[in-house]
Amino acid sequence: MSVSLILLPLAISAVVAAHASRTAKDETGRLVCHVQTRMRNPGLLADALRDTGAEVTAQDDTLVANWEGVRATFQRNDDDVWTAHLEGSVDDRRAVEIVAGVDAAYGRQVQSAVLDRLREHAPAAGLRLESESVGADASVSLVFAVEGRE
Amino acid sequence: MVDKARIEVTVGPDGVVSAKTHGLLGDTCLDYIAVLEDLLEARTATSEYTDDYTRTRERVPLAQEVRHVDGK
Repeated sequence: MSVSLILLPLAISAVVAAHASRTAKDETGRLVCHVQTRMRNPGLLADALRDTGAEVTAQDDTLVANWEGVRATFQRNDDDVWTAHLEGSVDDRRAVEIVAGVDAAYGRQVQSAVLDRLREHAPAAGLRLESESVGADASVSLVFAVEGRE
Repeated sequence: MVDKARIEVTVGPDGVVSAKTHGLLGDTCLDYIAVLEDLLEARTATSEYTDDYTRTRERVPLAQEVRHVDGK
């Protein structure tokens, strides 16, 4: 019997894609866009934000990212998923574009973290790496021979 | 001829992981779902049996029948 699986790392929520959940105005009348993300891991999120050129500051359960003219405040919701609140030179569409860019960087961070974990821990699970290849879409495939578990 | 047991894991640039077992007989492949979840710190979103499942199900009753006859 063989089986084919799709697995979601715990760093990723099951949310399909970034989407604007709410738009409001702050006390000075500036537009503030709220965007739901699929991101869970604060360390990987901070790294992803830096990958997009943001200056990042972290405080308690809040991450603040500053790009030129745009400020994003990321906060965790009850499901430990980060929601972005964007203000500055943004509207709904631009806010989703920015978060989609962060999401893409986050995906690459997760990919790298998962691959590191696989290479490090697979031998202890009785899996010997036989080959590794990179696809045209930047996906990375690893083939393991199944041996005895330690 | 039995294929050598292998697991192929593909990690996409979006962080989503797909995995496929090859040549694992019986329910052994199901054991590796938990192994992969632990190894990847992930949870299974979808799973399906591959063509090997049908091949194995055809073979199992035959193997059991032969063993029974030999035991007489």
